[in-house]
Amino acid sequence: MSRVVGIDLGTTNSLVAVRRDGATTVIPDESGDRLLPSVVSIGESGAIHVGREAQRRLLSDAARSVYSVKRFMGRGIEDARGEEQWLPFKLGGDPGSVIRVRLGERTFTPPEISSFILRELKRRAEAFFAREGDIDPEVSAAVITVPAYFNDAQRTATRDAGRLAGLEVLRIVNEPTAACLAYGLDRRRQGVVAVYDLGGGTFDISILRIEDGVFQVLATNGNTHLGGDDFDRLLVEMVARDTGIDPAAAPEAVQAIRKAVIQAKLDLSEFEETRIEIDSLPGRAGPYSRRLTRDEFEAIIGPVVARTLEPCRKALADAGLDPGQVDEAVLVGGSTRVPLVRREVERLFGRAPHTDLNPDEVVAIGAAVQADILVSGRREMLLLDVTPLSLGIETMGGVVSKIILRNSTIPASGGEMFTTFVDNQTAVDIHILQGEREMASDNRSLGRFKLRGIPPMPAGLPRIQVRFQIDANGILSVSARELRTGIAQTIEVKPSYGLTDEEVERMLIESFEHAQEDVEARMLIDARNEAETIIAATEKALRRPEFGAIAAADLDPKELVLIHAALADLKQSMGGGDRYAIQVKAAALNQVTRHLAEVMMNRTVQAALAGRAAADVAAEGR
Amino acid sequence: MQPDTKAVPIDKCRHCGSEAPVDVHVCPRCDRLMTLGRLGDYFTFFGLRRRLVLDVQELDQRYRALSRLFHPDYFHNAPPAERLASLERASYLNDAHRTLRDPAARLEYLLKLEGFAPKQSREAASAVPQGLLEEVFALNEELEAVEELRESGVPAEAVAARLDEARRPVEATLEAHERRLLELAQAHDASLESGDAEGRRETLGLLETLLLERTYLTNLLAAVRRHEAGAGSART
Repeated sequence: MSRVVGIDLGTTNSLVAVRRDGATTVIPDESGDRLLPSVVSIGESGAIHVGREAQRRLLSDAARSVYSVKRFMGRGIEDARGEEQWLPFKLGGDPGSVIRVRLGERTFTPPEISSFILRELKRRAEAFFAREGDIDPEVSAAVITVPAYFNDAQRTATRDAGRLAGLEVLRIVNEPTAACLAYGLDRRRQGVVAVYDLGGGTFDISILRIEDGVFQVLATNGNTHLGGDDFDRLLVEMVARDTGIDPAAAPEAVQAIRKAVIQAKLDLSEFEETRIEIDSLPGRAGPYSRRLTRDEFEAIIGPVVARTLEPCRKALADAGLDPGQVDEAVLVGGSTRVPLVRREVERLFGRAPHTDLNPDEVVAIGAAVQADILVSGRREMLLLDVTPLSLGIETMGGVVSKIILRNSTIPASGGEMFTTFVDNQTAVDIHILQGEREMASDNRSLGRFKLRGIPPMPAGLPRIQVRFQIDANGILSVSARELRTGIAQTIEVKPSYGLTDEEVERMLIESFEHAQEDVEARMLIDARNEAETIIAATEKALRRPEFGAIAAADLDPKELVLIHAALADLKQSMGGGDRYAIQVKAAALNQVTRHLAEVMMNRTVQAALAGRAAADVAAEGR
Repeated sequence: MQPDTKAVPIDKCRHCGSEAPVDVHVCPRCDRLMTLGRLGDYFTFFGLRRRLVLDVQELDQRYRALSRLFHPDYFHNAPPAERLASLERASYLNDAHRTLRDPAARLEYLLKLEGFAPKQSREAASAVPQGLLEEVFALNEELEAVEELRESGVPAEAVAARLDEARRPVEATLEAHERRLLELAQAHDASLESGDAEGRRETLGLLETLLLERTYLTNLLAAVRRHEAGAGSART
């Protein structure tokens, strides 16, 4: 039997995990990397690059590369206003329909781009199972996670992406719920859990009650356009102001800045201060360097973090709970590593949040657990999730009549009776919306459909029962029946921001034409990935505030020269296509930094020991 | 005659044709999920009598047990008919749980089942219930006076205090209604137990009026709060 995996299709990184014999594994690639950057780049020849290689191409060929595509799933061009200028790729499409991403000569929809990422994860998992010696390593089905606050169009787009990648999507699961499942796995947990999930591009808060192995979501809230990307953009804007870079004229420079500020952001989760360093920028003689303290960083991102608190309060109110009734708070998503985020969550819920599982991996693990439940049919655990947004239809005067209320446990259903306005009318137009506002125009349009085949009757006589069914994926289907005659109606839903079945079919056929991959190209990519890891570790050490003191005390000045030379050498070879040169120079850098690594490690150990000694003293004093 | 002691409606198993009462979820002969019949109601689905006072914890427990019985997660590899039965049954269970868990929704549902409270039009729902006329008129006058005060430039704190004052009698009436609703619910359940069908219908009639008034009062309080929010924004 082929494998079923769990996939976290993230804004910044994507992961694939599997649960076998009661153990869950996040599947690494050949070089041991468990995160796949959600970046896609199209080469001149039409070759599709995904992950680290695509990330590098952002710096050299930005206009052919796309990141954070998840932010555009199930959306239209009008949703991207205000951020377009900072993106290296061009967006298109008609307002009110699917957004298009232009990369080189070709245009793609977000589900297609996501399918390239999913395909890579599928390949990664199959290679892993083959290495493990499985007779049939094929992966044909998956559970894929989405933000809890994703609407119907965004969920459907994700399911389409799975189909395009050749995966049967067994279930769409909400990310915070999956995380909670992963957390509740090994312990016999009971009580109320708040999951705060701040990722690269989306924010979710879910309140769950766990009892008798049933994980029941009480309420969820969030913002599908709020995340770590917003931190990055604020920092990029700061550097752009500093340097006078015009984002439209220099997309590669913007990406170089973006890479540097992301590194600085990561540093500041660990240290009190760091430097933003960029080797070269257009119109600048030397390298760019700027000191950034954690306090400054927190002042910059403070307003973004504050925007996560209101959804938390709303979710609590919908669950009918006070913050004090939450037994545990769980942090999910890479952006929850930011100390300010942790402090705010702690303040809101009045307790220190759990961080024992890796916030990058916990969602994928939960997805794998859910995949295992679906395949095995074992009934120890059960997820009961909710629909995040109310579902309604447009009625007279553009007002929304709600049919299924937000935070209803799914699957859920609702019905509405329709009739005709003129004699012998045989069709009725129905507009489906999702959202909480009173007026149709303020909500998200999911689609329009026409009820056809109504038997000709005087106006007002037909009684057409329309049933709305939200399944366990949170995805809507509609059926209708005329009650007087019992005739079932034909329904064609025209999705506002989705693809029709025919479009998906056509894309599937096209994708086969581009599926062949070059083995040598892959090996080159693997070599670059490994080299990049060493470069990042070295540069991080060099940037540490106390590095000057360390170098003076423990390093030979000649050693420092050698390190810088080896670093520059390796960076230079990265741009070329010579896999062996990269491997040799990476080994050289590894060699010359070995002593430095030891020194750093000793320092860390000493610091930890000193810290513990101080804590012991404090404990004795009490 | 009591509706809930009538013979329980019967459904047929789509697979083996066996007959089973509608509150039986799994076919007693072939062990498959029964296709959801349309003859039952939320109470029978949970195996409950039509009582208005429910132990919510017990309801939750039954809900979890039934979820374990037919959630779509467990029918992933089942044939399509079985999967559909699971989806329909799970949906119905969720809708039933949501309705029965909330006392007001539960009462409204029971009234509908028993032939009370026909679906109201928008106009009927916004008309002032007879029993509340005096109180509503008094409140409206007070709200108008407050509005005038605010326009004349009286400090926002004073306006807020007046609104607070205006809200109090409405809140007191609402509380009295809640107490009365609970008493009547208990009376209803007692008539159900003792088989006093006439007394039960009479109580349901009273409950219908009271529920309408309660809904009206809740909306009224929300309106006062909107006024208060207006006073708050006037301060800045």
